[in-house]
Formats: sequence, C-alpha cells, structure tokens
Amino acid sequence: MGQKNMQGKRIKEKVQNSIKRNALSRKLSGVIIIVALILIIVSLVFVFFIITMERKQYAERESENVLSSLSTSIGSDIDKYNNISRLIMIEPQVKNYLKADKRIIDLFAYSEGARLGTLNILNVTTSVDSVFIFRNDLEYSTTINPLEYRLDWDRIHERDWKSGLLANKGSSSLSLNGNGAIIKTKPATLLTINRAIYDNVSQKQTGFLFMNLSTDFMEDEINQLSSENICICTSDGIYLAGNIKLLNYYDKAYTYDEITEIKVSNPKDAMTISGLKVRGFPLVILYSITNERRLLPMELLYFIIILPIIYLVCVMVAGSFIKKNITNPIFDLTSEMEKKRQKEVIEKIDINLPDNEIGALQESYNNMVDHSNLLMDRLVEKEQTLQKAEMRVLQEQIKPHFLYNSLETIGFLAIDAGADKVHGALETLGSFYRNFLSKGDREIPLKREITIIKDYLSLQKLRYGDIINDEYDIAKDTEDCIIPKLILQPLAENSIYHGIRMKGEKGTIKISSFRTKDELHIVVRDTGIGMSQEQIDKVLSKEKSEISEEFSGSFGLWGTIERIRSYCDKDDVVRIRSEMGEYTEIEIIISLLPKQWKTAGESRRTTDQEEKVVGNTEENSNVQSNAD
Amino acid sequence: MYRVMLIDDEESARKLMKASIKWESLDMEVVGEAASGIEAINVIDDMKPDIAFVDISMPFMNGIEFTEIATNRYPDLVIIIMTAFDEFEYARKCVSLPVFDYMLKPMVRSEVTEVLTKVKKRLDERSEKDEADNEPSGDLGSSSIDQIKKYIENNYTDSKLNLTSVAQNFGFSASYLSRKFKQETGKNFVEFLTECRMNAAMKLALTNMKMFNASNEVGIPDPNYFGRCFKKFAGMSYSEYVASKHTS
Repeated sequence: MGQKNMQGKRIKEKVQNSIKRNALSRKLSGVIIIVALILIIVSLVFVFFIITMERKQYAERESENVLSSLSTSIGSDIDKYNNISRLIMIEPQVKNYLKADKRIIDLFAYSEGARLGTLNILNVTTSVDSVFIFRNDLEYSTTINPLEYRLDWDRIHERDWKSGLLANKGSSSLSLNGNGAIIKTKPATLLTINRAIYDNVSQKQTGFLFMNLSTDFMEDEINQLSSENICICTSDGIYLAGNIKLLNYYDKAYTYDEITEIKVSNPKDAMTISGLKVRGFPLVILYSITNERRLLPMELLYFIIILPIIYLVCVMVAGSFIKKNITNPIFDLTSEMEKKRQKEVIEKIDINLPDNEIGALQESYNNMVDHSNLLMDRLVEKEQTLQKAEMRVLQEQIKPHFLYNSLETIGFLAIDAGADKVHGALETLGSFYRNFLSKGDREIPLKREITIIKDYLSLQKLRYGDIINDEYDIAKDTEDCIIPKLILQPLAENSIYHGIRMKGEKGTIKISSFRTKDELHIVVRDTGIGMSQEQIDKVLSKEKSEISEEFSGSFGLWGTIERIRSYCDKDDVVRIRSEMGEYTEIEIIISLLPKQWKTAGESRRTTDQEEKVVGNTEENSNVQSNAD
Repeated sequence: MYRVMLIDDEESARKLMKASIKWESLDMEVVGEAASGIEAINVIDDMKPDIAFVDISMPFMNGIEFTEIATNRYPDLVIIIMTAFDEFEYARKCVSLPVFDYMLKPMVRSEVTEVLTKVKKRLDERSEKDEADNEPSGDLGSSSIDQIKKYIENNYTDSKLNLTSVAQNFGFSASYLSRKFKQETGKNFVEFLTECRMNAAMKLALTNMKMFNASNEVGIPDPNYFGRCFKKFAGMSYSEYVASKHTS
C-alpha cells in the first residue's frame, strides 16, 4: 500500500516536473501567437487608415489632374482660335470687304476676296467649322457652303445679338451657334468665338466676326485622356462634348474657378463628380469617379494582403529560432541532468549544445560536477585517513609487547609458586596471541592458522576440557596455502558455543583440509547440536538483516563467511552440511588461482579497506569473547 | 551469615569468585552455584540465598530472564548483574529491573568487596526492621499435598516451575510448603520434581531420543544440568542409559 502511494506520489511529481519544464516553451508559443495577432491587427488598422487617406487623396489628385489639364488644353485651344480670329480680322481682303462701299462697287467680289483670305488663314486649322464676317449693314461673307446652314434673321435683328459684342469693344467672347443665329442644316452645336471688328487704323467699328468651332477639338482632347467619365458643357449646362450622362448631375456650383466635388449617392451609379470651369471661358468640365473605381490602387491591395503574411512568417521564424536555440537546448540539458539524477551519479553532461550562453550553462554545470566530485574525493580521502588513524590507535591499544611481557612475568610467578599448569596455560595464551596478531598480516599460511586454532582450542579445553575433543587432519600439500587470517577460529568458536555446549554431551571438533587442482578445502566438523536448514540459510544469506537478534550468536559465523566471500570475490565459498542432533560440517573452498583484483590497483584498495574493517571488528569480538 | 549464590555459565569464573573473595570477613558464605538460569531456578529453593550474582549471558536462560522470574518470586533477593563490556548495551535494556547493581567483567576483588559491603549494610537494616518471621496460617493437609503432587505431575514440563512458584500458586509460604511436603511424602520438593522429570526422561530414552531433545521435553532445557540430574538419578549418563536399553 505504502509503496503504491509512494509510486503514485512519484508519478505525480514527475508530471508536475514535466509541466514545469514545458511551461517555458508553451509560454513562448503563446507569446508568439499573441504578438503575431497584435501585429496583424495593428498593421491592418494602420493600413486601413492609410488606405482611406490615400484613397481620398488619390481620387482628388486624379480628378484634379484630369480637370486642370483638360481645362488648360481647352483654354489654350480656344486662345489659339481666338488668335486666328484676330488674324482674320486684320486680313487685308477682309478689311477691304468690310470697308467697301456697296453703292460703289460689286460687293460680291469683295466678299469672295474676304472668303478666300479667311480660308487662307484657316488653312492650318482643323476644328473651325465656319467663319462668318458680317458688315455693319448685315451683308456677310462666309467660308461655308450656303447649303449647310441657314441664318436666323429674326435673331440677327434682335438688339441683344449685336449689343453684347459691341460692349466687348473688340475683344472676343464665346457664344453658341453664332450667338444663336447660325443654324447648321445637319444639327450640331457650334462654339462661336465672336467679336466686333474694328479697323486697326481708324479704330472704327467695321463689322462682326463669328468663328464657329465644331466640338470635335474638345472630343479630341477628351479622347487623348481616353476617359469616358468626362463631360464638357457651357456654364448654362448645355452639352458640348464627352459623356452626356454626366450632364444630368450638372450643378451651378461647378461654375467656379476651383474644383468642386459633389457626391452622387444614386443607388444605380454611386459616384463623385468633380467640376471645374475653364479659366476665362463659360465652359465647365465634369469628371466623375465611381466609388469602386476610386477604391484603391492595386499595389496597395497587394501590400495589404502580403503585410500580415510577412508578419506571420517573421514571428514564426523568430519563434522557431527561440525554440531551436533556447528552449530546446535547455530542455535537453535539464532532461540530461534529470537522467543523471535518476541514475544517482554525479557525472558530467556531454550533449551537443550550441556554443553560446546555453553551452556555458552546461559548462558551468560540468564545473560544478567537477567541483563536487573534488569535494567528494577529499571527503573520502579524509575519511580514509581518519580510518587509518583509528586503526593505528586500535593497534596501539593492543600493545603486544606489554601483553607478552606481562604474560612472561605472570608465567615466572607461577613457576616460582610451583604452579606448572598455570605456566603452561600462560604459554599457550602467549603463543595464541603471537599468531593471532601475526605482525599485522592479513593473509597467512594454513599451518599458521592451524597453530592459532590449536592454541585456541587448548585454552578452551582448560575451561571445557571435560566436553571438548579436538582432532586434526591437515594434508601436507595444503600447509603452505595462503588463506585470510582468522577464518577458522570463529568456526571453532561457533562449534563450541552453538554446537557442542548446547547439546550437553561430550563433543569433537575435527579440522581437516585437502586440495584439488586449484582449490583448497578446509572442513570444520563438530558433533554438536546441528543446524536446521533455516539456520543454515540465514547464515549463508548475504543480507545482514537476516541475522536476527535471537540468532545473533551466529553473527561471527556470518561475518567470517562474508570475509571469505570478499577475499575470494565470489559467493559460493562456504558449504554447510548438518544433521540435527548429530553434526555440523562447514566446508570452506578457497581458490588457489591468482586473483584478478590483486593487479587492479583501484578496486584492490577499496577491497582491502573493507576487509580491514571487517577483520578489525572480527578481531575485536574475538578478543572480547576470549575475555569472558 | 548472609547466603550467596553464584549463577554463571563459566565454571572457572564461579570458582575464581568463590576462592578470591574473603566471604567470612563480610559475614557471608557461598551456598551454591548454578551454570544456567534453568539450574538456578531448580536449586534456588534449596539454597535460600540472600544475594545472587547473575551473569547476563548464559545459554538456555539468560540472566535477564532469570532476574525477571526471581524478582517476582523472591522480592527480598539482592541481585547483582555481571556483564562483559560488549554486552553492556544489552544489560542497559533491563535497567528497569529492580537489581542492586551492575558489575563489569572481569571482576575485580576490591570492587566486588565494595559492592558487597553496601549489600550487607542494606540487609542489616532490613533484618532489623522485620525480625519476626511470619509463619502463614492455613493448614496443609495430606489431601492438599496430594493436590500439589498432582499439580507437579501435570506441570513438570514447565521449566520455570519450582517450590516457590507452586507455593505462591497455592497460597502458602515456600518454607512451610517445603517442610510439610517433606513431612507428608518423605521427600524434598525438588527431589520429587526431578524424579518426575527423570522418570519421564527414561521413558523418552527408550524411544532413542537425543538427550538435548529429551531435556527440553521434560522441562529442563539446559542439557548440561539435565545430564547431571540424570546421572545422579539413574547412576549412568543418558547416552549410556540409551545404549544399555538398546542392547538389552
């Protein structure tokens, strides 16, 4: 249950961690999207604003261009014809015709002369329909075939037909159809430049000149602009040229010297009409722009469409740049750190990161790892030094010389008192300790170990002489085999305290050895109470905790087995056979092959250390158990 | 004279202690020894000690278990625990037990003497207080003795059974029961209990049972003490007895 909870907790933590870890990249994409949206909206608003402005100006500019250029060219055209009319006025034959006295001469010939003279001047012009030159007596000469027109004499006789011209005192003015008196047979509106003619010498008024212009020249000007949205009319609203439809929207407001705009919100054709009076003449030019037409120039439209796309692309590029160069490397880095943490190792990270601030992050992490490893090494070294020092103190405490000297002194006291038995026992004790300490060697030949065990058992027999027998069967070829020190004494001790003594009967401890090709076998057999399979399993278990408190008596045995295991570097080194109430037989198998770890420097050091510590506690407990 | 009992599984330790301390000068004498808690339970009623030295680490029944039983049954008994240095932590676990003192092994004479002097002082004060040995009332007829015999025969496998526990069970004083029991049956209480156990053991021996198993079965889980009892009772060791029965 508890484990399950723990697992659940761990999973929850993991999820939270990954959320935290992903938060940055998720936030980043959020920010990118928001920035993109804002940019697009702002740019659209901006563009819309510009477009509205631009649209208005564009329309204004266009109509201004059209209107002013048209008005200029038409004005100059008319000026041109005006000049021609002046030339006609001073043409000698015309002058003669006007001066000739009808009573004296044949006027027809003069009239013909005036006609030819006029035609001569008109030679270069195109749009002059006809020229009428009236004498004050209303005789006239004309350049046009009499079949093509007729004169409205009623109109001519009206007072105001002439009076307007006379009032102008020789300068020209514009009228339609010869001030309403000349009617073409083929109906057409004529623009007439009319003036009173004065003799240039006598300054007397001699006649009237009507130069009728066809509206073709206006059409030509309009055609040059290739626009259908232009209409030219008189300031009275009479159509002259262009698109006649526009005349429907004519307004008096257009008869000013500045451009006037009027919006027409007729649902059929919504448009804006601009009008301009031709400077100096009673003519008005109308120009219309439909609302669609005045919408936008095409380039602007493209720009509007492309702009958000460009923004989007830019933002995405920026986003992917940040993702690729910042969030992804950071994610890689943290996941690598997490991996190391889960493996519980302090190791450098070696992943491919860009050589920038993030690379520097990895670098500094690695530096930190280096540093902590350094600290760790120092700590371990310190610990080892401390351990060595403690060992030395322990060895100092044993002080074999003091012990041997005391034993010898007591031995002498015993002999002096005639207690030979005591002297013998002290001798055995001295021998036991000499071999037991073995100059600090950790590995000794088997025969030395056997000496130790013999001394140990003979000392124990002083106490339990009535219940212990010991026997030895050591093969000659095994005597010099090297074994870890003090592996037999704990077995013998175990045999006495947990085997024979528990049985309450006399028992035998037998130690034998033999060797196969490359293995040394040592067997310790006692006829004690025996061990149950459960006990055997516990003693052979690798877990210290298996040795429970009630069974703590076998801890020495377990520890010895562990020591042999660590010496041989394998687990299968001890076999225990037993029958309850009959015997226990512990067989130790030590490989005689050279061990690999002896050459592997580093691992040897640690193995040694461990062995030292285990051996040390062993020795201690042995000393203790001997003492009581 | 105060009576001292030494309970230690090391015979030499008992011998050394018995020999090295000047008991007479302390007005004390060593009246008995036991090599385990089991043996001590069995013999303590005969010894009637005032003071007991108890080794904490003994096989079959350690000093702590023994002390727990003894402080219940013999509230006046002065108990001194003996412990080796490496067992000291273990000994501290039972500090709550009403023991007089703890002493570290190996024992040093001067220290033992010092402690014993204190013990003597305590005991002197106490005996002044209750001089009168109250003989409990209540008559113990032969029928009651029969009951007790039956009780023993039914419960001898309990290794903690002894005179005092039976007396407490039946509501008499131990000394009274002991005297009456001898009167009625002509035997010591301990002799009777051991007899019951040995008879049972002899029956078990016929089944070829190992000694340490038999000793467990009959309520003496210390085979060493059992062996001695058996030899005393049967005139031969258990294994000899098994062997003789087997051949015949």
